[in-house]
Formats: sequence, structure tokens, C-alpha cells
Amino acid sequence: MTINLKVWRQEGPDKPGRLVPYIVEGVNPDMSFLEMFDLLNEVLILKGEEPIEFDSDCREGICGSCNMVVNGIPHGPQKGTAVCQLHMRHYKDGDSIVVEPWRATAFPLIRDLVVDRTAFDRIIAAGGYVSVNTGSAQDANNIAVEKERADRAFDFAACIGCGACVAACPNASAALFTSAKIAHLSLYPQGEPERNRRVVRMVEQMDKEGFGDCSNHGECEASCPKAISISGIALMRREYMKAMLSS
Amino acid sequence: MSENIITDPMLDSKAPSGKLEEKWSNFLNTTKLVNPNNKRKHTVLVVGTGLAGASAAASLAELGYNVRSFCIQDSPRRAHSIAAQGGINAAKNYPDDGDSVWRLFYDTIKGGDYRARESNVYRLAQISNSIIDQCVAQGVPFAREYGGLLANRSFGGAQVSRTFYARGQTGQQLLLGAYQAMERMIDAGKVTQFSRREMLDLVVVDGKARGIITRNLVTGELERHMGDAVLLCTGGYGNVYYLSTNAKNSNVTAAWRCHRRGAYFANPCFTQIHPTCIPVSGDYQSKLTLMSESLRNDGRVWVPKKPGDSRKPDQIPEEDRDYYLERKYPSFGNLVPRDVASRNAKEMVDHEKGVGETKMAVYLDFADAIKRVGEHVISERYGNLFEMYEKITGDDPYKVPMRIYPAVHYTMGGLWVDYNLMSTIPGLFVLGEANFSDHGANRLGASALMQGLADGYFVISHTLGNYIASTELPKVDTARPEFADAENESRARLTTLLSIKGEKTVTQFHQELGHIMWDYVGMARNREGLGHAMTEITRLREEFGRNLRVPGSPDTLNKNLEFAGRVADYMELGELMARDALQREESCGGHFREEYQTEEGEAQRDDEKFGYVAAWEYTGANQTPVVHKENLEFEFVKLTQRSYK
Amino acid sequence: MNTHSKLLAGLTSQVGRKILTGVTGFVLVLFVIGHLSGNLSLLKSDPNAFNGYARFLHSFGAFVYVIEVLLTLVILTHAYIGISIALRKKEARKQGYEMYRSKGGQSKQSISSRTMVYTGTILLIFLVIHIIQFRFGAGISAGYITTLNGEEARDLRRLVVEVFQNPGWVAFYVGVMILLGFHLRHGIWSMLQSLGAMRPRYTPVIYGIALILGILLAVGFLLLPIWLYIYGGAAV
Ligand SMILES: Cc1cc2nc3c(=O)[nH]c(=O)nc-3n(C[C@H](O)[C@H](O)[C@H](O)COP(=O)(O)OP(=O)(O)OC[C@H]3O[C@@H](n4cnc5c(N)ncnc54)[C@H](O)[C@@H]3O)c2cc1C
Ligand code: HEM
Ligand code: HEM
Ligand code: SF4
Ligand code: F3S
Ligand code: FES
Repeated sequence: MTINLKVWRQEGPDKPGRLVPYIVEGVNPDMSFLEMFDLLNEVLILKGEEPIEFDSDCREGICGSCNMVVNGIPHGPQKGTAVCQLHMRHYKDGDSIVVEPWRATAFPLIRDLVVDRTAFDRIIAAGGYVSVNTGSAQDANNIAVEKERADRAFDFAACIGCGACVAACPNASAALFTSAKIAHLSLYPQGEPERNRRVVRMVEQMDKEGFGDCSNHGECEASCPKAISISGIALMRREYMKAMLSS
Repeated sequence: MSENIITDPMLDSKAPSGKLEEKWSNFLNTTKLVNPNNKRKHTVLVVGTGLAGASAAASLAELGYNVRSFCIQDSPRRAHSIAAQGGINAAKNYPDDGDSVWRLFYDTIKGGDYRARESNVYRLAQISNSIIDQCVAQGVPFAREYGGLLANRSFGGAQVSRTFYARGQTGQQLLLGAYQAMERMIDAGKVTQFSRREMLDLVVVDGKARGIITRNLVTGELERHMGDAVLLCTGGYGNVYYLSTNAKNSNVTAAWRCHRRGAYFANPCFTQIHPTCIPVSGDYQSKLTLMSESLRNDGRVWVPKKPGDSRKPDQIPEEDRDYYLERKYPSFGNLVPRDVASRNAKEMVDHEKGVGETKMAVYLDFADAIKRVGEHVISERYGNLFEMYEKITGDDPYKVPMRIYPAVHYTMGGLWVDYNLMSTIPGLFVLGEANFSDHGANRLGASALMQGLADGYFVISHTLGNYIASTELPKVDTARPEFADAENESRARLTTLLSIKGEKTVTQFHQELGHIMWDYVGMARNREGLGHAMTEITRLREEFGRNLRVPGSPDTLNKNLEFAGRVADYMELGELMARDALQREESCGGHFREEYQTEEGEAQRDDEKFGYVAAWEYTGANQTPVVHKENLEFEFVKLTQRSYK
Repeated sequence: MNTHSKLLAGLTSQVGRKILTGVTGFVLVLFVIGHLSGNLSLLKSDPNAFNGYARFLHSFGAFVYVIEVLLTLVILTHAYIGISIALRKKEARKQGYEMYRSKGGQSKQSISSRTMVYTGTILLIFLVIHIIQFRFGAGISAGYITTLNGEEARDLRRLVVEVFQNPGWVAFYVGVMILLGFHLRHGIWSMLQSLGAMRPRYTPVIYGIALILGILLAVGFLLLPIWLYIYGGAAV
């Protein structure tokens, strides 16, 4: 089938960008969305044009590299699906698709669809860990963790750090990403001793990076390929209040 | 090439003496230590942030070393380890089903078809338990029982339940644990992270690894980094086959450049082909997806009895189906090890019994299991895998049997290292999948994660300390000619790639290379095919040098340029893999030479002649490499022929 | 940092700000519910039902002033943070999308959620007018006097009724009340989420309740001017 694409092209952070139309022919319904881009890029290279730069790695929805806003929706229309797992069988011959990068001041654009998401690493560095030096751990079964609690923690730990939550959020807020790590670790007994310091520092860092505030639009949860629940954001706020009151 | 094995003096494994169970503690008791105050005077370059790299960076920084960490992706958390699904082994014996350090060691050595070093594998089994402790303390959400304690499951090649898992995302959770530990050290100022960097060369000064050249993938700048040691944790090279379950950025470049600088490459032909992957659907396909091995616990593998039968699966009656694994291996049935299952699937397809549109697949059928235990139980066990399968293929595996086919998954070969994980270049250590150390000719499920973390968390801190404490490491600075030379060579290589301006894209070359490798250096190999592969690769390399087209410029983000460099290295590696496979005139583990099989068509080892590690030395461009042999001595286990009948 | 400034730093952070909008929003919602239930006495046939209620409120003396000052602070804080959040949002995404859509599903994005700052700002303007109009409007000195239990009291009802004889005012009030409904449709759910009261199981319920409560409050309020306009304050 043939797909009419409009793709955001921008040579560099300080260069102007624009949507450029492309007609991609010979798209197979079994192709993934990124494979359609591979196909287009091959054609572009052979025509002597510059291919479209985009990030991807695992192509199975777990590394969090891929980031395309497809017709106004980060990762596209399928529920719980990263764009690398989106397949062309959901489109019809002749469909028009607009593709843009994540847009947020805290995710500066590098080139075309590639953005810089290192702000997320710095948020984790501010406290998204348990301080346990290698070798100092006790036997793994010394602390029992209620299964239901562990399962709930896992739901938050499943975050792949893709940034779709920020991209989807009308405020460009990183609340869902930040809260996912806070929720995971504060639900675990192992994370208990550092919980106050963790939430305060991570929130501080999130502010510093220039992400917007969370106004509870919940768009992040809808776009999250791992369907991380915004109840994590509520939990983060409870943790935060506890931390403030106990200081 | 089949003369008696002479142990190469260059390849001293440096395994400590003593009883198997005492070797590691003997090492620890006698190792030289670095004074805590001196540790901060040393800089260690850690290339790669997968399980091996991230855990090494974190542990070394905790001890006080200054660490510089590098990765290709935009964040260290995206290293390929993130994609591992099934689990991680440890000899905890929580289920009390008879597991022990010895048994884990023995299963691993046997699973590897007796082509790994006893001392290393035993150490791995000893350390396995501490890994679980460490990860749990970090908050890794392993699966738990209702009582709140850790759950285990069983995996191929073992008769005990020793696999710890975190849903179908074990690699992700373990990597995030290590990544977070590393980020903590970044916050503490002990680790400096360099993301979107590709290592293009190793800098050797006075015979020791003292630095690396990286390309900043955003600006294209070449950068020089100096250190007292280099840790290569850059993963496996499965992408030499173009299609594999590896992530798109997985590559051999870092390891290959070290090889060209003098590090020996060991057993390059040992690759693992995983039996249960989603089959290729067309030429456009960029990557293959693994379906966890655990599916074979409930799924039955079959093909039509009649070649060329193109009826839909539900129209093929029971009597026209061949459940070939159950037929041929009555005692293990669908649960035979990976290499056996893969080879049999290929055999069926070769006999034109393949299914699906491409005829390059076999069925994995859950109808009986659903009838037996109900759809909800199956969905509980494999729900997320079924969903993933449906996303990719559009078929519902609850209704139609899955189509599966083997795919390249893991590479047991890698840079040769001694017991200290040090390569033949002093100061260059190799960890994780990038080295060859622990899995012999075939890796058991759930033991790559174990090895990566053992190397990174628990081995390297001691062996590196020993090296630093016992080695003269005079200050060098990056203005030295060795750095300049390496940088210039890297630049020249990039300029060449861009200047060919031919008619074929990098992907086209990579696909072609992949076809050659898959057809002739894949699941079944023979002398003629391997020879053919070598000529074909030589031809392809020649064409690459003349007809490659890389768009864009060197001083911006340019993924085609990155890939071009990697494919160039893959072609050289591919040739070496074929050469290595040709040299190994036996079948063992993932290496199946058609000339060497038993009457029933099973792999036939030749311990007498090939009980060694083949470590290749690079002798210059277009020169024939030289093979060095490390004799594998089995002091503690008895070698037996594997049988799964 | 001492505890004091730590708390302050905490409240000015992103999460702190949300907690403050949540708390102030909560107070305002309670006030509005109370205000509506009091105002409903305008519908009673006894004209003094409402005046009595007003007098009852003012009988608390100085305490009333304290409450009024606090309420003003609450409104100002709420408005200040609300507007500053909206301004920060522009900073956080300087380059906007060419095409942007809600994914639906679990999303709580709606016209109501996207227009909080506009409905809010109009409410702020409304409040200034409203308070001048009624709280500081014609009183005893202007001859708006009634007798309650034999004592002289302000005939607030007369003022209200008079204002709502003017179709312009009626339209203005009805319009603002609709916007209030929109503000509360997202606001009520949002404040509970902001205060961390949300658990996954309750989310859909609370989100539904916010809708119903928003509609009830808006309809309750806008009935008053319409009713007073039609019936001129006469008891039916
Ligand atoms: C789909 C799949 C499922 C798997 N499931 C399991 C499982 O269940 N259990 C199990 O035990 N094993 C499993 N494995 C195997 C296991 O995941 C890998 O062997 C292991 O994760 C490798 O880890 P690593 O740290 O050695 O390397 P990787 O995780 O591959 O990391 C490599 C790192 O090196 C960096 N790098 C590479 N080249 C360069 C360069 N030139 N310059 C700079 N940086 C570079 C990369 O950026 C990356 O950070 C699975 C593998 C696959 C493909
Ligand atoms: C005075 C003028 C007002 C302004 C400028 C204003 C503005 C805002 C804004 C912008 C928000 C969204 C905050 C965010 O995006 O996170 C908000 C939330 C809210 N507003 Fe208002 N508002 C005003 C008055 C009111 C009134 C009168 C009420 C109640 C009747 C009210 C109730 C709420 C509630 C409950 C919330 C949700 C709080 C939260 O999300 O934590 N607001 N307001
Ligand atoms: C039709 C609807 C309304 C009517 C008839 C009405 C009527 C009144 C009256 C008569 C007063 C004066 C009370 C006094 O001085 O004792 C008053 C005060 C006030 N009203 Fe309303 N009101 C309406 C809607 C609203 C709404 C929607 C809000 C808020 C969003 C609001 C907020 C206030 C405030 C803050 C005061 C001042 C309270 C005080 O100072 O004690 N009103 N209202
Ligand atoms: S919360 Fe969801 S959308 Fe946000 S980074 Fe994590 S996985 Fe991506
Ligand atoms: S969409 Fe944005 S406003 Fe909050 S609930 Fe999600 S971060
Ligand atoms: S490429 Fe890894 S999540 Fe999409």
C-alpha cells in the first residue's frame, strides 16, 4: 500500500524545522511503523537525499528508544504499544500520517526525530535508587514482601523511560516518569530508609530540568506504552507530603 | 589442522591452583589490594552499560575508582540487556529440589558441551547467589510467592527450579537495578557518563591498554579518553547475521578494534540459534523477536507430514501431523535443548514441511494445553507473550497455532580472557557477552544475565585491583602519539566510508552478509559451504569498498555512517567465523558440522582433537589470522556425550 | 536548611504547588457548596429566610472578618499558582506540535481540563465584581432594611432580587456559572488527585462524581438568577 507521510525535518537544534511530505510506496501491512521508515530511508539514500534520523534499538517495546508522535499521539493510536511495535496493518492504503518528535523544552531536539532525554537520567541520579554497595546485601529471602505489594511495585517498575508521558502531557510534565520510580521504590521495603530524601530530591531535579507542572490531565497514562497508572502521581504527592511533614 | 593440541604459552588461563571450590577464595586471599586512598588516583574506562558494564561501573565507583562510562544509546538504561525476558539462574536452592553450586556448575559445563573452562564456570556458580542478594537489596522486583518469598521456575537444560524472574522482563529489571546503582555513583561524582558515544579504537601505550577513541554521535567529534585500564562490556555480535534477536545497535566494533590491536578472538563460530522466535515475514524485516523458551512447556511443535502441504493448520487432521520432537526424543520431547530444537526445525523446513506463507516456520500449538488446563491458565502463564505475538503477526495464538522459527540469539564466542577477565592486551578486560568465557559451545537459558552480573559486580573489582596494584602505570596524557595515531586512523576510516559514494546502501550490504552467514555459517555447516562463505564475504568486502553509499557528513548525527563502520567490521568478523567453523572439525553445542554427526543425526564431539579454545590472532589486513589454542583440561568433571533421547 | 525554609522550599516545588492548588481548591469547593446551600433559601417563600441566613453568618462578629481574609488569601493563592502553572507550561514546551490529539482511553484530558486557567481567570474577575456587588453593595445605610425577629437587619434579598431583574446581569451570572461547572468538572477530580487521595480503584468513581457534582453546582447556582428574574422574587 501507499502511505502519505509528513515528517518533521530539522537539521540541528538551532536550525529551523518543518514538516516535509513523502509518499512511501510498497508498504507491507506486516511491516512495523519503523520498518516503513527504514524503507523510506533506503529510497531517500538512493535518490541522494539525506535519510530521516530517528532513534530505535530493541524494536520490541522494551528499551524506550523509539519516539515518534504519530498523528498527534506519542507512539501512535494503539493502546499500550511503543511505536516500534505499531504495525502497518492498522492503516489503509492512501492514509496520511504526520510524524513529529517528542516536544518539550527539557528534551532538546538533536536532529529530525531524535531528541535528548538525558534529563531523565539526571532525575534518577537524584535519588531513584537504593543505596546499597555491592557485597553488603543480606540474604535475598530475609525480607518477605507481600506478593500483592510486589506486583503493584512492578507495575510502576515497568516504565521504559521513553518519555511519551512528557510528550503527551499538555504541560510537558515528567510527573508520571518520576512518580513511577518513586512509587516502585517506596512500595518496596528495601526502598523505605531513603524514601523522604528520594522524593524530595527527585522532585527538585524534575523542576530544575524545566518540565512543566502536572495538572492531572491523565494523558500520560493513556499514551504510556506500559500503561503506568497516574495513581503513582498521587502516591508521589503523598510521599512528598510525608517527607515535608517529617522534616 | 587436527594435530594434537599444544597448549599455547600465550594463553595461560591464570586459574589459581587448588581444589575447584577453593580456587576463587585462594585468589581472593592472595590477591594484591589497592590502598583505598590510591583508588581515587586511578581512572577506569568502562565501555558499555549493559548488565556487565553498569554493574562494573557502579561497583568500581563505590570502591573509589574514577569511572568513565560509555554507551551508544542516549541513556545507559537502554543497553541491549534490557530486552532479556526469561530469567537469571542462581544456586540458591530455595525450592529445596536438590540444587547446589556444584550442580549449577555441572549443568553449565555440560550444557556448553564441554568447551568452557572449569575454573571460570565454577566461580560463576559460586557467585550466583550473591547476585540475587544484591539485586533484591536494590529493590529489583523479582516474582514472589504468596508468602512473600522469592519464586523460582525451571528452564531448559536443568532438572531443578533455579531461575529467578521478573515477569517477562527480567533483563529490564536487573539492568535498571544496575543502572540506578550507577546513577547513584554519577550523583556522587565518581562516575562520569558519556552517552551517544561509540568506541572506535583502543589506545595501547607501552603494550598496555591506556585509552580509547570515541565518536560523539551527536557532533561527530572524535574524542580521546585516558585511563589506567579499559573494561570492554560491549555485548555480543549476533547482528553479523543481520537478522537476530539483538537490538539494532548491538555490534562487534569495539571488540573488533581491540582484536585488531592485539586481543585474541576466541571461538567466534560459537553462536546460539534460539528455537522459538517469530519467523521472518519479508525482506523489509529489520529484526527478529524472541518468544520465550518457556512456551515449550505447554506448546507442541509440529509440521504437516506431507511435504508442500499448504492446508490451513485446522484443516490438517491429527494423522497428517508430525510432532517430530516428541517422535524423535520421547524422553525430553518438546523440551530438548535449544540447539537440538533449532536444528530439527531447520531439517523440517529443508524437507519442505515448513508452514506459513514463507514456508520458513513450524507450528507451536497450544490447542491441547488449552483443552487440558483452560484458556485462562494459559493466559496467566503466557498472556503477555501471546499479546506480543499477536501485535507482530496479527494472529491470535489462542485460536491459531503460533508459527515459530529459529533465530540468532546469542554469541558464546568473544574476546579471549584469562581467569582475571583480562584479554591478551594487559589492562584490557572483557566482561559479559563480549568475552568468551563461561558458556562453551552453547549457553543455557538464564545464564547470560548471571554471567554479566557476576563479572561486573563481583569479579572485576578484585581482578582489576590485582592488576592495578601489581602493574607500573606511569601517567600518560592524551597528547601522546599513540592517541593521535588511533584518532587519525579512525578519522581516515570514516572519511573513506563517506567518500566511496557508490550505489548500494549499508543495509543492503548488511542484508547480503546476513544471508551468507545464515545460509553457510548458521545452524548447520559443512566444509564446502564454509569455504563458499569465505569467498562470498571476500567478494562482498571488495564491493563494499567500491560501491557503498553513505549519505550525510561526518560532523553531525549520522546513523548510516555509524552502521557503515559496524558492517565493515562485521564482514571481517564473518570471515573469521567461517574460518573458525572450518577449523573445528567436530560438532559441539551450537556448532554443527554436517560431516560430524552420529548415526541418528546428533552432534558428534571430538574431545581428543578439539577439546580446546581457538583464539585467533589478528595479523594484519588481508593476512591469514593465526589460531592459538588454550587446552581445556577437565580435572573435575567427566566428559560424556549429550543425549536427550 | 532549617525546617521552616525546607517546608517553604517544599511548597514552592512543582509538587508543593500542586498540593497548594489542591488545598485551596478544596477550601473553595467546600465554600461553594456551603454558599449554594445557603443561597437556595432565596427560593423560599419567606423573604426573610435568606436575610436570616445572612444575618446568622454575620452574627459571628470578628470571626467573620478572619474567615473573609482567609478566604481572600485562599482565592489569591489559588489564582496565583493556577496562572503561574499555565505560564510555566508555555516555557516547558516552547515549540508546540503541528498536530496534537488526545489518545482517549485512560486520559482525563477534556475541554474542561485544558481551559482551567481561562475559566479560572473569568471566575477571578467575576468574584471581584460579585463581592463589590453584594458584599459591599447597598445595605442598611442605603435603606435596604428588613425586620428580623423585631430587629432591624440588612435586606440583602432585595438587593439580590433587584440585580437579577436586569437581564444583563442574569446572562452574566448564568454564563459564569456554566464556566464554574467546567472549572469544577476537572477541578474536583484534580484536587483529590493532587492531594494524593487517589487509589486506582477509586479513580473512575471519583472522576464520575466530579462530573455530577460539577453539573449540580453549576445548575444549582444558575437556577437562582433565572428563577429570580422570572418570578421577580415573588414567592410561588
Ligand atoms: C531477546 C533476548 C532475550 C534474552 N533473554 C535472556 C534471559 O532470559 N536470560 C539470560 O540469561 N540471558 C538472556 N539473553 C542474553 C542476555 O540478554 C545478554 O547476553 C546480556 O544482556 C548481555 O549483556 P552485556 O552487558 O554483556 O551487553 P549488552 O547489554 O549488549 O550491552 C552492550 C553495551 O555496550 C555498548 N556498546 C556496544 N558497542 C559499543 C561501542 N562501540 N562503543 C560504545 N559503547 C558500545 C552498548 O551501548 C551497551 O551499553 C537474552 C538476549 C536476547 C537478545
Ligand atoms: C479565582 C480565580 C481562579 C483561578 C484563576 C483558578 C485557576 C485554576 C487553575 C489554573 C487550576 C488548574 C491548576 C493546574 O493546572 O494544576 C485550578 C484548579 C482548581 N480550581 Fe481554580 N481557579 C480559580 C477559582 C476557583 C474557584 C472559585 C474554585 C471553586 C469553586 C476553584 C476550584 C478549583 C479546583 C478544585 C481546582 C483543582 C485543584 C488541583 O488540581 O489541585 N477554582 N484553578
Ligand atoms: C447566583 C449565584 C450567586 C448568588 C445569588 C450569590 C449571592 C451572594 C451574596 C448575596 C453575597 C453577599 C453575602 C454577604 O455579604 O453576606 C455573596 C458573597 C460572596 N459570594 Fe456569592 N453568590 C452567587 C454565586 C457565587 C459564586 C459562584 C461564587 C464563587 C465562585 C461566589 C462567591 C462569593 C464570595 C467569595 C462572597 C463573599 C463572601 C464573604 O465575604 O463573606 N458567589 N454571594
Ligand atoms: S511512564 Fe510510561 S510514558 Fe513515561 S517514560 Fe515511563 S514508560 Fe514512557
Ligand atoms: S498528562 Fe500531564 S498533567 Fe499530569 S497527569 Fe499526566 S503529567
Ligand atoms: S525501539 Fe525499543 S522500545 Fe521501541
